[in-house]
Amino acid sequence: MSAKKMVYLQPIPIRIWHWVNALGIVTLIISGAQIRFPEAITILGSYKTAIQVHNVAGLIVAVFLAWWLVYYKMVRNSLDDIYIPNEEDIKHGIVRQLLYYCFWYFVGRPSPFHAMPDSKFNPMQKAAYLVVMFMLVPLVVLTGILLMNVTPLRVLILMSGGIKIIDTLHFLVACSLFAFLFTHVYLATLGATPLAYFKPMIFGWEEVEDHDEEHHEEQHKEAQPQTAFRPVRHYPEHPVHPQN
Amino acid sequence: MKAATKHTMYRFLMTVALAGALCTPALAEPDGPGYSFGDTTGKNEACLTCHADGQKVKGPSLINPAQFGHTTHAKIGCPSCHEGVAPTHPTDGVRTPRANCQQCHGEVNSEYASSIHAGKTSCSGCHNPHKVESPREISGMEINQMCGGCHDKFKMSAKHGEWLPQADLHLYMLPCITCHTGSKNYFISMYVVSTKNQGNLGKPEVASYQELKELTGGRDILTLIDSNHDNYISISELRNFNLDRDHKSLRLQGMLTPETVSHRFEILDDRRNCTFCHGSGPTVMQTSYLSIPEVNGTYRRVQVEKGAVLDALYGTPDFYLMGSNKNNMLSWIGLAVVCGGLIMPVCHGFLRFLTRKNRTRKEH
Repeated sequence: MSAKKMVYLQPIPIRIWHWVNALGIVTLIISGAQIRFPEAITILGSYKTAIQVHNVAGLIVAVFLAWWLVYYKMVRNSLDDIYIPNEEDIKHGIVRQLLYYCFWYFVGRPSPFHAMPDSKFNPMQKAAYLVVMFMLVPLVVLTGILLMNVTPLRVLILMSGGIKIIDTLHFLVACSLFAFLFTHVYLATLGATPLAYFKPMIFGWEEVEDHDEEHHEEQHKEAQPQTAFRPVRHYPEHPVHPQN
Repeated sequence: MKAATKHTMYRFLMTVALAGALCTPALAEPDGPGYSFGDTTGKNEACLTCHADGQKVKGPSLINPAQFGHTTHAKIGCPSCHEGVAPTHPTDGVRTPRANCQQCHGEVNSEYASSIHAGKTSCSGCHNPHKVESPREISGMEINQMCGGCHDKFKMSAKHGEWLPQADLHLYMLPCITCHTGSKNYFISMYVVSTKNQGNLGKPEVASYQELKELTGGRDILTLIDSNHDNYISISELRNFNLDRDHKSLRLQGMLTPETVSHRFEILDDRRNCTFCHGSGPTVMQTSYLSIPEVNGTYRRVQVEKGAVLDALYGTPDFYLMGSNKNNMLSWIGLAVVCGGLIMPVCHGFLRFLTRKNRTRKEH
């Protein structure tokens, strides 16, 4: 029987960023839908209100993107570790995690990855968030800023190919982020309990199995004594207990 | 006096007046300028001998014969409005008589009289009668130049900015009359604009006839876009024009313009509702014309394929009427992308539900 221990996984600045971002993106989706389909969607009342709400929510998301970047890169200096897949992730980690989600999860095996404060994401999450946070979100923010300031930034719009190119990019990237939202929320329910991964994003602390951590930290230290902390992977090394 | 007697006297007086009017030219000095009553050219050529010559006449009296020639005013002739110009003109020092516009344009005048502009300026405040053009012959930018004669651009931008998002953009892309008159039947009027004088990223200006004529090497300007010479612009021709590297400084710009113009200037509350333009849906705003400059300063209107303004990338890259001229294909692609995001959660969730006992056993 494993003991439980609490790990402080999500510091306050990240929790604030996450929930402001979540609220902002939902607001942007609703207001953006009304802006594009005003004849069908009137949730926010007038078209002008929808535009103003969209602009304000967009600016908030843009400011908090900078907040996120400054915190992880300059305050914690852990942006690279958290978001950029390392060699091990690329060689084995992504495939291992994919196999877990596609097969081993269904037969009841544990996740090969446990989150830790400076290594929160499994290799698949790293790959996904690398695309989302370093490509899609900056792209939707930049195109949004251009669309908000068509006259003052006219030259930049022309250099980018014209307003229709910018608008098309903004719309398609926004749809991609909307699509990612479903996967993001669903994967957050794949913890030990459906709400297990939501709790650390609210309270900061995540409950983890202590013996596994110790066991694999030891294994890890033996294998790579010179390197800094690396995420605990206890699959396929994790022994599968026979079913009772 | 009996009615019959009054009628007889009236007819007599009218006959005398008509005879007098017909005899007046005959009384002119043999060497004077004279006033012909022949065809259009004949009616005006005597006047234009001086009034088209910049050496002899200055200011508003100087007339561009090409611009004047195509107007209805040219067809009825100078004397129709400037009746009774003395044979000694201009040495007599008498101010040239001018007709009152409302004598012919009574309906427009009464419409104008009930608007907020009434009393602020007369017809000539906006229209030069010697180059007056119909709405289809004039670019939206030129319409706004008329308004800019009185309405300061920066003050208007600040005033509209109090309630209108991106006021600068709206004032640049819309003729004022689109919102400030009860005009009807809007279409997208496309112009060839040039950034030749400002560099490729400079502020575009409506390309002049001369500039375009030079580019075509003397051919019809329309052939710049209408490559198959059928006097009709297809989306593929627009695409070829937009991608053609030979004239990178030329672009197409669109303005939402009313087809039927009213002179009743007013502040219309329904125009403050953004959906008046932005929410009309993809079934309207599809009609567009290309306005090609002519040698006389007017524009020739050429039909463009329906839906060209909706073409996301090639139709009019610089024209986008948010919420209204969206591309349906793009909307479907966006929907497919969003639905694609549901595939993983739905499929995985379904298998997760079916295999839930495996994970329960492990926990026990």
